[in-house]
Amino acid sequence: MWQPWVGGDNTENRPHREVSGEVSPLSVRSQAMNPRSIVPGIVGAVASLLGGIFAGLSTHDYAQHLDRQLHGTNCSFIPGLGEASSENACSAAMYSPYSALLKDKMWGGIPISLFALGAFGFFFAASLYLALARESASKRFRIGYFAATLGPLAVSILMFTISLVKLGELCKVCVGIYVSSIALFVAGVLALMGSRQAFGAVTRQGAPPAPPRPADATAQDNEPWHQQNKRVGVPPTKVDDGPVIAPVAAPTGSWAAPVFLFATLGIATLLPAVVYAASMPDYSSKIVECGKLSVKTEKHNALVKITTTNPKQQALTFEDPLCPTCKAFHDRLVSEGIYENLDLTVAIFPLDSECNWMLKRPMHPGACVLARAVLCADKDGKARQVLEWSYKNQPELAAAGKADVADVRARVVKKFPEVDACLDSKETKDRLDNILRFAVENKVRVSTPQLFLGDTRVCDEDTDMGLGYTISRLAPGVRK
Amino acid sequence: MKPPVAIAALAGVAMIGGSSIFVEQQVRASKERLENPKAAEETPETKVAVADHAEADYCTPKFKEVLARVVLACGLSGQDARRGCEPVDVRSFSSISDEDFNDLFDPLHDRGGIVLFDDNSDVLDDGAKKLIEEKWAERKGARYFFIVARASKTGTAGYNEALSQRRANSVFFHLESTASKDDGPLDKMVGMLWLGSQYAQLSKDYCGTWNLSRPNIAAPSAPKGQPQKAPAKGSKVCNDEAINRSAFISWVDCRL
Repeated sequence: MWQPWVGGDNTENRPHREVSGEVSPLSVRSQAMNPRSIVPGIVGAVASLLGGIFAGLSTHDYAQHLDRQLHGTNCSFIPGLGEASSENACSAAMYSPYSALLKDKMWGGIPISLFALGAFGFFFAASLYLALARESASKRFRIGYFAATLGPLAVSILMFTISLVKLGELCKVCVGIYVSSIALFVAGVLALMGSRQAFGAVTRQGAPPAPPRPADATAQDNEPWHQQNKRVGVPPTKVDDGPVIAPVAAPTGSWAAPVFLFATLGIATLLPAVVYAASMPDYSSKIVECGKLSVKTEKHNALVKITTTNPKQQALTFEDPLCPTCKAFHDRLVSEGIYENLDLTVAIFPLDSECNWMLKRPMHPGACVLARAVLCADKDGKARQVLEWSYKNQPELAAAGKADVADVRARVVKKFPEVDACLDSKETKDRLDNILRFAVENKVRVSTPQLFLGDTRVCDEDTDMGLGYTISRLAPGVRK
Repeated sequence: MKPPVAIAALAGVAMIGGSSIFVEQQVRASKERLENPKAAEETPETKVAVADHAEADYCTPKFKEVLARVVLACGLSGQDARRGCEPVDVRSFSSISDEDFNDLFDPLHDRGGIVLFDDNSDVLDDGAKKLIEEKWAERKGARYFFIVARASKTGTAGYNEALSQRRANSVFFHLESTASKDDGPLDKMVGMLWLGSQYAQLSKDYCGTWNLSRPNIAAPSAPKGQPQKAPAKGSKVCNDEAINRSAFISWVDCRL
């Protein structure tokens, strides 16, 4: 029979006044178990539960995208509150290369939130044990528990740093996981401290003191399984006529406890990921269903050749300098190490009715000016510079375009004075028209960005989460 | 097994097992949506336009009827090589009046131009060649280039129909000799109509308002509110006869 009031491993640092009888019998009676001993377990359980909810939410959002449709992401400190949106930091984090593992092998990869989900499930159980066992949880279990909490903490610190340094923004759901990991670590520290501070065992008035235990007393064992053979009996101290305090040395426990903890943690962490991987649909046929270029080259040589450091794979993109998705896509190609390996040609495709007859209204006013600036800069081999400058300053340029397109022109000319004379020339306008007609010849969608690897069109659905997988299938050389 | 261990183990199994089931269900739901995307396709916002040629406001059903007939008669659609335009009798397929027919082309006022010929001639002068080349270069998003040739009422109807056909051909041949091959196959882009002298004659009002190949030709009268200009030296007067010794040319921003 388990008796939570028996045992305890905190005798060493137990407040001396209790042992010396300065504490009142009434107070001792009411503290058959030290209330502080439950704190690490409760903190750990709450942290795990919270972390699990955040991880579950993140996993839900990620798994939703496996249907290759557009979905928003929940991004709130209160899980599930607020509308799902695709324009938030959580979406940016999800589409980043850091959100999942094995992205080249599986469509979308295995989201790291799955590992968090499993790990927090495990920590919930371990914390629950800590809360229930209280003082009887052994030193070695506590050491193992503490050591295990370092894992989520380390991963959280790593992801926090990546979010700040690489993504430049913090996703609220991710922050929820980071905070949960920190709280879990605090629980680990408290648990570890519990193994060093003596709370003492208190036997109730009239109850016989616990006898020294034989090494093989399994059947009569009053202590947790992992504490067997570790408890050292200490003679009870009589306190007046009140209850008997039996200060016990901390049960050291077996090394099997941390070993078991880590093994279970490993299994728990991997299990949801294994289930996820095993349930994944087959995307190999889906990624080649989005058509091909029917006209591979633009006869007037109007397209823009982009200089990259290691061109291996012939690629063509349709891009709009003021399209936020193009900017995100460009950044993704760069951050995933794909961009520099592309032998890239850009068909500049402004979604602006000022120059693009396919639109009735300007989606991105000012995009035509920037498109012409890219074409003008191409003469000096600076097309990439202008395009990347446009992406970098996109929010300001987009706002300027909505207010007054002339302001966009002024900004681009200020940065690249050499394009001034060329911007409004007939030659430049004709070149842009030729690019737009190239789009017509190929019957491409009036949307940006679009990527063609060779002549195969990469589906829009595969340009974010599935990019790594698609690239590894359609252009395996890019990754080598 | 001790109760804390048992309870914790049960909780652990429930949490991790539950998580795994949750994950499996999420993935399965996405898999079903992936394999049966009907619901997603039905939402209007998923319909994305495909890049196409320009479609201007003047592309009315009546205008497109004329366009379609020319496209058909000239074999502009389809993959077969063109063997030249068949004569199109606009009256036979359209109950449109002369005036209404000409009104169809009014919106092309800035887009197009009128190539003028000498009397009884299909020879292009330098101004005509220049105007043809300029207008050809202003393609933008257009799919078709129109040549609508006419003849003045001088002479017989049959002769004038043949003359207007030769004028249309002159423009076409000039395009053939000057346009870049990279612009695409002309025989799939250029539609021709020759109206002779019996149908849809232009009024002299076109002289002062349209872009003519002979800018020095004197308009019969200045537009309202503007002083009458004296005819330039060497110019001829633009009248009802002169304006119909012509070929109207323009890119047409319509889809069929």
